[in-house]
Amino acid sequence: MWLIRVNMTDLTSSVGPLPDAYQHLGGRGMTSTIVAKEVPPLCHPLGPNNKLVFAPGIVTGTPAPTSARVSAGAKSPLTGGIKESNGGSSWAADLADMQVRALVVEGQAKKNGKFWGLHLLWDAAASQPKVEFFDASEHAGKDLFEVFPKVYAKFGDKISISGCGVSGEYGYGNAGIVYNDPAKGPTRYSGRGGLGSVMGSKGLKLIVLSREGTPGVPITDEALFDQGRKKMIDALRTHDITKPKGALNTYGTAVLINIMNEAGGLPTRNFSSGRFEGAAKTAGEAIFEGNKQRLGKELYNHACSPGCIIQCSNTWHNPDGTEAASCVEYESDWALGANCGIDSLDDIATMVKLCNGYGLDTIETGATIGVIMEAGVIPFGDSQGAINLIHEMGKGTPLGRILGGGTGFAGKAYGMTRVPAVKGQGMPAYEPRAVKGIGITYATSTMGADHTAGYTIAPEILGVSGKQDPLTPEGKAALSRGFQAATAFIDTSGHCLFIAFAVLDIASGMEGMVEECNGVLGTQWTTADIGRVGAEVLKAERAFNEAAGLGKETDRIPEFMRTEPLPPHNQVFDVSDEALDSVYAEL
Amino acid sequence: MSEIVVDVWLYGGLSKYGRGAEQGSFANLEARLRGGSTIGDLLAHLQMPSRERGITFINSQLSAMPGLQPDMDHILSDGDRAAFFHLNSMWPFQYRLGAAMIRELAEAMQAGKDEGLHHSYGEHESTTE
Ligand code: SF4
Repeated sequence: MWLIRVNMTDLTSSVGPLPDAYQHLGGRGMTSTIVAKEVPPLCHPLGPNNKLVFAPGIVTGTPAPTSARVSAGAKSPLTGGIKESNGGSSWAADLADMQVRALVVEGQAKKNGKFWGLHLLWDAAASQPKVEFFDASEHAGKDLFEVFPKVYAKFGDKISISGCGVSGEYGYGNAGIVYNDPAKGPTRYSGRGGLGSVMGSKGLKLIVLSREGTPGVPITDEALFDQGRKKMIDALRTHDITKPKGALNTYGTAVLINIMNEAGGLPTRNFSSGRFEGAAKTAGEAIFEGNKQRLGKELYNHACSPGCIIQCSNTWHNPDGTEAASCVEYESDWALGANCGIDSLDDIATMVKLCNGYGLDTIETGATIGVIMEAGVIPFGDSQGAINLIHEMGKGTPLGRILGGGTGFAGKAYGMTRVPAVKGQGMPAYEPRAVKGIGITYATSTMGADHTAGYTIAPEILGVSGKQDPLTPEGKAALSRGFQAATAFIDTSGHCLFIAFAVLDIASGMEGMVEECNGVLGTQWTTADIGRVGAEVLKAERAFNEAAGLGKETDRIPEFMRTEPLPPHNQVFDVSDEALDSVYAEL
Repeated sequence: MSEIVVDVWLYGGLSKYGRGAEQGSFANLEARLRGGSTIGDLLAHLQMPSRERGITFINSQLSAMPGLQPDMDHILSDGDRAAFFHLNSMWPFQYRLGAAMIRELAEAMQAGKDEGLHHSYGEHESTTE
């Protein structure tokens, strides 16, 4: 197993064996450990001392279902803290199959308008991966939908691509890292935290992986791995949320639009209400029905990456049956829809596609536009105006650059007080005043406001069973702590977080996940180790953040949520600072 | 007893019980019921079998989940909003921790396995052979 270092300052690379200390790490565990160890916490995120780390998960590249995930990590230009952002793509599996457990990009190329690409391929003679540099300047300043076909044309079909869009070249806080989808389009993202700009700041535009001849991931104990894999498959195929033609496969994550709206927790018009009158028109059910009308048949969702059996990725189609955008996730749908007072799926899809082409994080982009609408730059509900603002970002105009700085930055530029962000990161699609548990996770996560930071797994594994009343703030804080640790483990395993929906309710699925990891690594973990392994990752992230100046004082929900009651429940966020502080104090 | 009017929202496949108020992926209608009517009475009025509904809200308060329906006897008031979801919807636990619930559901969760710390509450039937 290999660790590759690429130095962009002098355009050199080294391929070395994975250090012993990193043998049992993968995914987020790997990226956060390396960033915490090697990146000076006070460095400028867009300077030469930041490092961008990619790591496939422990079981990524194996036949374990729903596991083609990669973690990208660095110091975030958006939050100023540590960042890991997860993506699903064949790129993840290809990196794993090359037996690369970590790819570390360091230094900074001299710009002179030049951008570089990396080409990783398997050197059969040397039995190890090798790195080649290529001049990628021709792709700078271009829409990613133009860039990707050219890269496939140059390197052939048996490749995977990651890169940054123009937003990453500009250094925006809302620039993501893009990966190819199964149809070779630029639509899968490690979206959050501005990691695309870390890539761009290094003078790096593209990382192309050739899968020809790669040896695949070695498995230490095949029988154990297989046993675990079967348990996981069985859980995913059985649970209502993850099974074929179940909730995610039929309606995608956007099935949550109507649910959150009825719950009074769908942030609407820049978090000024919990209910949006146009919600039903933009929901997962409307996507399913609309596609059925436009295509003349029912369309179920597809896999974002090889080997996923949940298959939650949707596609919205134009009236003539051509593809409008993929994928319209719940959070994108909400950010560019309800949060901006926009109820047209066609317009939302147009915006999702523009974000994909410019390399923008849809959540940060929509949260920012919501704030700017409230500032009066354009009115709520003005979808053409919102589309124009995304073009401003793509063109790098002065207004576009203010918006590209992210929700907090744009809020400051316009003197706004209702700015939904934690640690500078725009808040996703669940209102903390209506759902207080998620508010605790938003406040305390090492990542800033992040809806994927705290997924639920079984209480006996969280170590909270029967100990605290989940209805009290302290009980919720204890749960959030457990959720965050469990999530860090799943992000380390290489499984998509959505396996958590099934393994919470089907205990054998949880065992399966641990057995798969043991099968690959030769470890003897039990489900009791999930919390421990996850907590170690969180501790490393937390220590980095504290050294970077993001201590517990930054574990707070924006003030307006404590003072402005949110209709229809007319509640404020009333979890005490002490309860918030207990999340990490007791880790 | 006086009449009450309930604002009813039916999502996804349940829109077929919307008595002509279907709008593609959902239906929104007013149900006129006798004062003192319950969720059970409303379901009977809609001719919708309770087993077909999953997540349910009364005035933005969660009242039922798939496999857990303690709201059948919940008495409705004039002007209430009742929303019914099909069985292919979901509301994962972490996204509803601390959300409002009717008293009957909160008690049922407390009494249930793991104090209700689950994503869904029914049997998970295999769709694979
Ligand atoms: S469940 Fe969805 S997001 Fe996760 S790997 Fe599968 S298709 Fe991708």
